[in-house]
Amino acid sequence: MARVGVFVCFCGANIADYVDVPQVVEEVKRIKEVKFATEYKYMCSDPGQGMIRDAIVQYKLTSIVVAACSPRMHEKTFRKALSDAGMNPYLLEVANIREHSSWVHQKNKKAATDKAMDLCRMAVAKSIANEQLHEISVPVTKRALVIGGGIAGIQAALDIADARIPVVLVERSPSIGGKMAQLDETFPTLDCAQCILTPKMVDVASHPYIELIPYSEVIELQGFVGNYKVKIRKKASYVNFKTCTGCGACWQKCPVKVPNEYNMGIDKRKAIYTPFPQAVPNKPVIDAEHCTMLLKGKCGICAKVCDKGSIDYTMQDEIIEREIGAVVVATGYDMWDPKPYEEYGVGRFKDIITSLEFERMVSANGPTNGLPLRPSDGKVPKNVVFIKCVGSRDEAKGIEYCSKICCMYTTKHTILLHHKVHGSHAYVFYMDIRAAGKGYEEFVKKAQVDTGTTYLRGRVSKIYKKGDKLMVRGEDAQIGQVVEVEADLVVLATAVSAPKDNPDLARLLGISYDKYGYLSEAHPKLRPVETAKAGIFLAGCTQAPKDIPETVSQASACAAKVCGLFAGDTMKKDPMISTINNEYCSGCQNCLNVCPYGAIVTDDVPVGHGSKDLRTVAKINEGVCQGCGSCVAICRSMAINLAGFTDPQIINEIVSI
Amino acid sequence: MEAAIKDQLVSIEKPELVAPPDWEPVIMGILCNWCSYAGSDLTGTSRIQYPPNIRIIRVPCSSRVDPWFLIKSLQTTADGVLVSGCHPGDCHYISGNYFARRRFLVTKKLLNFVGFHENRIQFSWVSAAEGPKFAKVVNKVTEDIKKLGPLHLYKKENFEKK
Amino acid sequence: MNYTNQIQEIAAKLFAEGKIDVFVGYRMNGFDDNQVPVLITGPQDVSKLVFTDKSVFNLVNYLKTDHTRKKRVGLVVKGCDSRALNLMLTEKQVKRENLYVVGICCEGVVDDAGQKMQNCLECIVPEAVVYDELLGTAGKAETRAYKVNVDIAALAEKPLTERAAYFEEVFENCIRCNACRHSCPLCYCAKCCIDQETAALYNGANTTSAAFHALMTWSLHLAGRCVDCRNCEKACPSHLPLHLLHKQNESVIYENFQEHLAGVIPDDRGAFYKYSLKDPDDFIM
Repeated sequence: MARVGVFVCFCGANIADYVDVPQVVEEVKRIKEVKFATEYKYMCSDPGQGMIRDAIVQYKLTSIVVAACSPRMHEKTFRKALSDAGMNPYLLEVANIREHSSWVHQKNKKAATDKAMDLCRMAVAKSIANEQLHEISVPVTKRALVIGGGIAGIQAALDIADARIPVVLVERSPSIGGKMAQLDETFPTLDCAQCILTPKMVDVASHPYIELIPYSEVIELQGFVGNYKVKIRKKASYVNFKTCTGCGACWQKCPVKVPNEYNMGIDKRKAIYTPFPQAVPNKPVIDAEHCTMLLKGKCGICAKVCDKGSIDYTMQDEIIEREIGAVVVATGYDMWDPKPYEEYGVGRFKDIITSLEFERMVSANGPTNGLPLRPSDGKVPKNVVFIKCVGSRDEAKGIEYCSKICCMYTTKHTILLHHKVHGSHAYVFYMDIRAAGKGYEEFVKKAQVDTGTTYLRGRVSKIYKKGDKLMVRGEDAQIGQVVEVEADLVVLATAVSAPKDNPDLARLLGISYDKYGYLSEAHPKLRPVETAKAGIFLAGCTQAPKDIPETVSQASACAAKVCGLFAGDTMKKDPMISTINNEYCSGCQNCLNVCPYGAIVTDDVPVGHGSKDLRTVAKINEGVCQGCGSCVAICRSMAINLAGFTDPQIINEIVSI
Repeated sequence: MEAAIKDQLVSIEKPELVAPPDWEPVIMGILCNWCSYAGSDLTGTSRIQYPPNIRIIRVPCSSRVDPWFLIKSLQTTADGVLVSGCHPGDCHYISGNYFARRRFLVTKKLLNFVGFHENRIQFSWVSAAEGPKFAKVVNKVTEDIKKLGPLHLYKKENFEKK
Repeated sequence: MNYTNQIQEIAAKLFAEGKIDVFVGYRMNGFDDNQVPVLITGPQDVSKLVFTDKSVFNLVNYLKTDHTRKKRVGLVVKGCDSRALNLMLTEKQVKRENLYVVGICCEGVVDDAGQKMQNCLECIVPEAVVYDELLGTAGKAETRAYKVNVDIAALAEKPLTERAAYFEEVFENCIRCNACRHSCPLCYCAKCCIDQETAALYNGANTTSAAFHALMTWSLHLAGRCVDCRNCEKACPSHLPLHLLHKQNESVIYENFQEHLAGVIPDDRGAFYKYSLKDPDDFIM
């Protein structure tokens, strides 16, 4: 006979003001299995937990019901209290009488009390069918996969590798470095991005614990936390990296010119290329979409000039498989395409460029040797208008959120313009200046004084052409007047948007993403680097827009999480997973079809005890099962049950009120 | 004793078709842990008020919901059921709600076919962020079922339990 | 429709060549012109075999028994029977290599009164879909379109209270003998949910409410799998219109999920074991 203890919480006034707690206690005492029931101000406090521990011993209780807040809040707390009293923690049930009763029926105390009683009855009935469960321990493969080789991926990989955990770093483009490698200087200190980034890139390439796989993509992830198997497609580079010395003869001689992605298409690269001079690895790849040899079988110049014989036009994509225990996703961001801003003349006027194009032009290693030039006539602009929030904070045309970095980089751009073009003047149209961050406000203030930039608070309504100038018309909300600025060049601070492939990647990894395409963290405040899928972590802008310091912090946080996961040889897993009763299993194998994780396999078992005759039944892989219960609901012979949510438990709840 | 039960059974042979004035429906709410249960918690945290008729059962995923639970609820304690899960595409377990969706449609139509009003079996997708939506759904379901009155079908034998 | 001679010849040949251990077919029941299933183990009994439009039972049901398990079996299947066989194969209950299947291009079977069965009138897959040998000639498939069962359509038009009253009577007349389950080829579970220790949860008592519960659950276990052979109805001693539940589910599945009828396609599992992103969503708030 079950002996249930019920503990009803006041939650200060949160429950007690709207539910008659003493009456609930009296009512549950009438249930014949309930051997002890009491109330307390804060069950989750130490004295509250002490009451549970004492009652377990004193009344020889076999299961515990705590009627308090949502189980999503304190289930773990109370389970621990049970453990401390030597009771199996899974004999606990929580009746949610706060979120589901006192807080939502504040105007009707009687109804709230009645409902609280019912919720307690249900929890008691369920707890009677609770079984002892034990944590499952699963072996761990101590190797991490990092997807994306920008600053986030680089930092995460280095931090994990420094803890002597092997890392596989997969980068889609031919070189690591990401967006940061395209930057000139970085706010608020104006460090040269290359100077602080390239040493880290070199560290990655030379680190004994990092396996760098560039020009590759993750195509499949199977398994579960600690035991993933990843398939990586290494795109054919047509260059044998083992023998190539990176001398550069090939790309100097290559006759095919292609817009250079690294320089935002401002200049050209060759069909065989390294993305930029400091690339890591510094080996060229052939762009199969443009190489005439690969397209038409004509040319072959690079093979002729390569004295190492490293060019191999027959190279095929290669599938690499690795066993890993954890994944860090750091796929960065895309620049938002400002096409919807037709009133600005985007696409019609050549002298409207995006901030990243401006950044490339003013970069020391950029296509214009560090000088901003008008795309229309190649002249150096004097008056430059910067427009902020292009796409950001614009529900109608763009996206609702603030891209977070535009205020700061625009400020940086005004400084760079001031440094590079003497006698130039910058105008900034802005909505707000958001400069929250260490040294950020000071940076903006100083820049405003030093550069003499004109800040105009308001939206730009129209840009039109007048001669070879662009007329920017907008409102200066501070004086309440329409203003027009004659500009040689207009720079749009375009929004940060989620990588367009993120939804595909999310599906492949089995994690979720938000409506913008950013990958979702497990909890916005308390678990900002974990995803809902155990063992997969997020670093950098793939989760939400952020600047470099934040990205690096998050990457290091991921590394700490991965190291924590790999601290032991095994890890503990929640035991609330499916179990199969072989005797009842008829072997129809329909459950194999509905399991989203491939956690069900077949197994041959003797037909009877000691029989040599075998029959096939389903078998759960404990490590893979996540406990969704899909298989349980479709199993006609009820051979499968889900620990913690068994049929008897749920039916007891249904029939108890 | 036996005679007493017999009397009781006879008295409920003809169930009252008119609801007693203080009658309140019981609605069995089966919610998935990750979206709808979290959403209902948010309704609470936001102090959005809704009718107190729903009794919530937590399951890991809407795909855990065996049609049997709905049948059992209607046959024993509930005047209506509400099952809620994650929006399509958002299932914490990747595809659970898609399997569930099929079963729900067939179950709803079958129950309707054998004589249950379709409003007694309702489904919703409520995400963890949709606290206000959860309240709206409960409002609607409660209103619908109040209009339909008490459910007597197949409940007679279970009356003695109470 | 009479394939008695062909089937006798085939069975004799199979026994002579040692290809089968048993043959499952039909014989006359011995007192009127109706037939019963027969399981013969040697050539001496081949002459008992018959096949006419009175060969109503679904013989695939007999593949569940120990008499046929692990043996090489020859059997006769009509269109609906063969769909059940297909599902048995998909669900790994029988091995194809152990079977010799004589498929029939069925022209419909008749009931005791000599009337063509309702399911045969509505049948759109009369030819066997899995066979080693096919008897008869297939009709034109394109002329057959799926139609909602007439009884379902008629009931669906009735008011809700009338349907409720009708089905309450149906469930009241159920005596919980489980003959429907035993006669169904697809109810092969090692242990049926109703018979388990958890039966208390199913409310095993012989009451209307319990019968409602059991039959509803049963029909949902067969949803997307029922092949409309009506073995259950033939077996039911209370003559309950069990097809109503199954055909209702079948029509919902057929119309809403764009699925094939159960068992028509090899390796095609029931509708509940797959999904489509395009499944109806409008009934969900």
